[in-house]
Amino acid sequence: MEILQHFDVIVVGAGLAGMRAALEIDPDLRVAVVSKVYPVRSHSVAAQGGINAAIDPEDKWQDHAFDTIKGSDYLADQDAAELMCEDAPRVVYEMEHWGTIFSRRPDGRIAQRSFGGQGYPRACYAADKTGRALYQTLFEQSIRRQITVLKEFFVVSIATAHGQVAGVVCIEIRTGTVVGLAAKSVIIATGGAGMMYARTTNPYINSGDGMAMAYRAGVPLKDMEFIQFHPTTLPGMNVLITEGARGEGAYLYNRDHERFMERYAPKLMEVAPRDIVSRAIETEISEGRGFDGDYVLLDLRHLGENIIKHRLSEIYDFALTYKGINPIYEPIPVQPGQHYMMGGIATDKHGATELPGLYAAGECAAVSVHGANRLGANSLLDTLVFGRQAGIQASQFVRKNPGVDFPSADLTRQQDMISRVKAAGRREPYGAIRRELRETMTQYVGTFRDEPRLTKALKTVRALQDRYAEAGIQDQGDVFNYDLLAYIETGFLLDLAEIVTVGALARKESRGAHARIDYPDRDDAQFLRHFLFTPDGRRDEPVVITHYQPKERKY
Amino acid sequence: MSEEIVLSIFRGDAAGGQEVEYRVPLTPGMVVLDAVHQVQAHQAQDLAVRWNCKAAHCGSCGAEINGHPKLLCKTRLDDYVGETVHIRPMQTFPIIKDLVADVSWNFEVAKKVPAFQPSVPVPFKMQQFDVDRIQEFHHCIECFLCQDVCHVLRDHNAKDQYFGPRFMVKMAEFEMHPRDGGDRVPMLAHEAGLNMCNVTKCCTEVCPQHIRITDNAIIPLKERVADQYWDPLRALFRKKKAPAATGQSVQG
Repeated sequence: MEILQHFDVIVVGAGLAGMRAALEIDPDLRVAVVSKVYPVRSHSVAAQGGINAAIDPEDKWQDHAFDTIKGSDYLADQDAAELMCEDAPRVVYEMEHWGTIFSRRPDGRIAQRSFGGQGYPRACYAADKTGRALYQTLFEQSIRRQITVLKEFFVVSIATAHGQVAGVVCIEIRTGTVVGLAAKSVIIATGGAGMMYARTTNPYINSGDGMAMAYRAGVPLKDMEFIQFHPTTLPGMNVLITEGARGEGAYLYNRDHERFMERYAPKLMEVAPRDIVSRAIETEISEGRGFDGDYVLLDLRHLGENIIKHRLSEIYDFALTYKGINPIYEPIPVQPGQHYMMGGIATDKHGATELPGLYAAGECAAVSVHGANRLGANSLLDTLVFGRQAGIQASQFVRKNPGVDFPSADLTRQQDMISRVKAAGRREPYGAIRRELRETMTQYVGTFRDEPRLTKALKTVRALQDRYAEAGIQDQGDVFNYDLLAYIETGFLLDLAEIVTVGALARKESRGAHARIDYPDRDDAQFLRHFLFTPDGRRDEPVVITHYQPKERKY
Repeated sequence: MSEEIVLSIFRGDAAGGQEVEYRVPLTPGMVVLDAVHQVQAHQAQDLAVRWNCKAAHCGSCGAEINGHPKLLCKTRLDDYVGETVHIRPMQTFPIIKDLVADVSWNFEVAKKVPAFQPSVPVPFKMQQFDVDRIQEFHHCIECFLCQDVCHVLRDHNAKDQYFGPRFMVKMAEFEMHPRDGGDRVPMLAHEAGLNMCNVTKCCTEVCPQHIRITDNAIIPLKERVADQYWDPLRALFRKKKAPAATGQSVQG
């Protein structure tokens, strides 16, 4: 059975960006948010540290913009960064008005703390549950506004007709039915693709669905080679240890009990931006000053029981549960892990893509405000600022455009694909392909890169793509067929891994999170530009410069 | 040869089913979810189980391990050495397939709770002391293990009479917000069925986030209901707008 439902706007993804976009759609339009999980399972809820906004009278949004641009190693589009930072105080107070409880200063105002690469303590936070607190608020607002949420619907492709968006094709997970959702406008807010790495802080659902679907629909992906590695994750499962810990004053030590950040960022030390701290840790480990098992130590002990238990309660709980370590008395082992993708679906500063009717916001989009390296506590801000922008634009688009007929052949094609992979399960199951992909990316497209490693990665990824084309699944059922879902996600990840690697090979310089051992310097003459990839190949675009001329990035 | 752990996992759907045994090699620090993944990868690709973040953030993987409601991702297998680990879906909700239960009733209840209503314009001035207790409630990951264990919902299936512990926490979050202007006490006394809870604290015991649900949410809310409905002085002055609270607590 293939049902077709009609909407004005479909939002794919129910995290912060998607929910914020949906709230901005004109109330008289028919909007639905589609999520492959229950909305509250979205990864936004895992964000711990904070949301940046220049709300203190001593602070200025222009300084926030400068820190963001410098943090991006000058690859951010400066007009977009300015839009975001100027809007930030409004965002924070809007969330407070809707009920988010931020932590307080003694005088009763919203408290703020330091985050990496910020020249001023401007991260507003809700203990170490900032993402969850913000998300709960938006979820409540979505209930108040009676927004339709299609839960456990897995969107697999963007339908187009006559050069514009016609809707999406999805699988209802509970029944296995292929469903077409016709819409005049589609907003993609599906988050990142961390699952292409073995060591990642991302959850299982972050398989880059939206990015890959947009790419397959011919929409360019921008700056995909820039992958953020978070400096502090627990070795083994790579659970995130919030940057808030270093913001509160935690130290990093190597095996010789040196605070090694002195050598890499003497001024900012542990609160230098993430790319710098991650590389510092990797360097310590590779030069033999780490511990067996590839880690260094994060020491919170001097912060005292009160701060650890109240402001950093989650990492206290994690360390105890997963490592049996009590951070009040013992330092925590940490190593870098994949965390965030600066790149994504290319949009303008209002969330519009090149495909009429298609918008994107949040981690899956590259506006680009994060450039070559995102600063901590700027991603929650990004979701709320640009989610809203995408909602405004989609509403306007729907008002002006009557929409196009849904191409029903897309549904048949999807149904045929499912039948084919079920039959192919007797050949190679996809599971091994997925595991090899994740290992390859972690080993060869990580914190430090060079031509031989990247070439090897590209060759492996392409070989895996060939195997994938012949592979299949074991589960022949329809209800909750996670085997099928994971198969489709693996296809998305393979597409994206290739683009990440091709971009990393072509960018023969080191900038932000992209560190080439064979090209250690930034090369503005050749590479102060965005790489845009479509199935037809690469084209470049200039970076928008407004007030801040590129300078050497030192902390 | 490394040590093995025996998992006995429920396989089936609403029409019925039974536990099936799987053997998985035990590695140090392994959690139940890791073992279930091993089964899914190598022995039963058609095993249905919800999971996502593997770090007790997302609340997806609630199930019953040897009869106790727990998160698969936060339960270490070294607690069960020498035992067979029985894994079943949450029993309070209808089963869909294997370990996947239909928890959608909870989201229907969520729709009944009135949203925050600001009593003054932003920016708010509030003391950390006053928001501390609400920040405890932010720890909730909506895994619904508290709903699963609550005997009002589980044994008496009184889903039409009580919202359950999760939504007492939610309503406490709003009621205790220093800048909330709403009044949910009438709802607590009637539709939400707060009186159905007889404070056995089972919900607090199973909460993987260590929220003191009974002491910090339910009891203070009960006090508010008592203040408004049972205080003789207040009763005297109260306008006859709302009927007195009804509903008896059930014995667990």
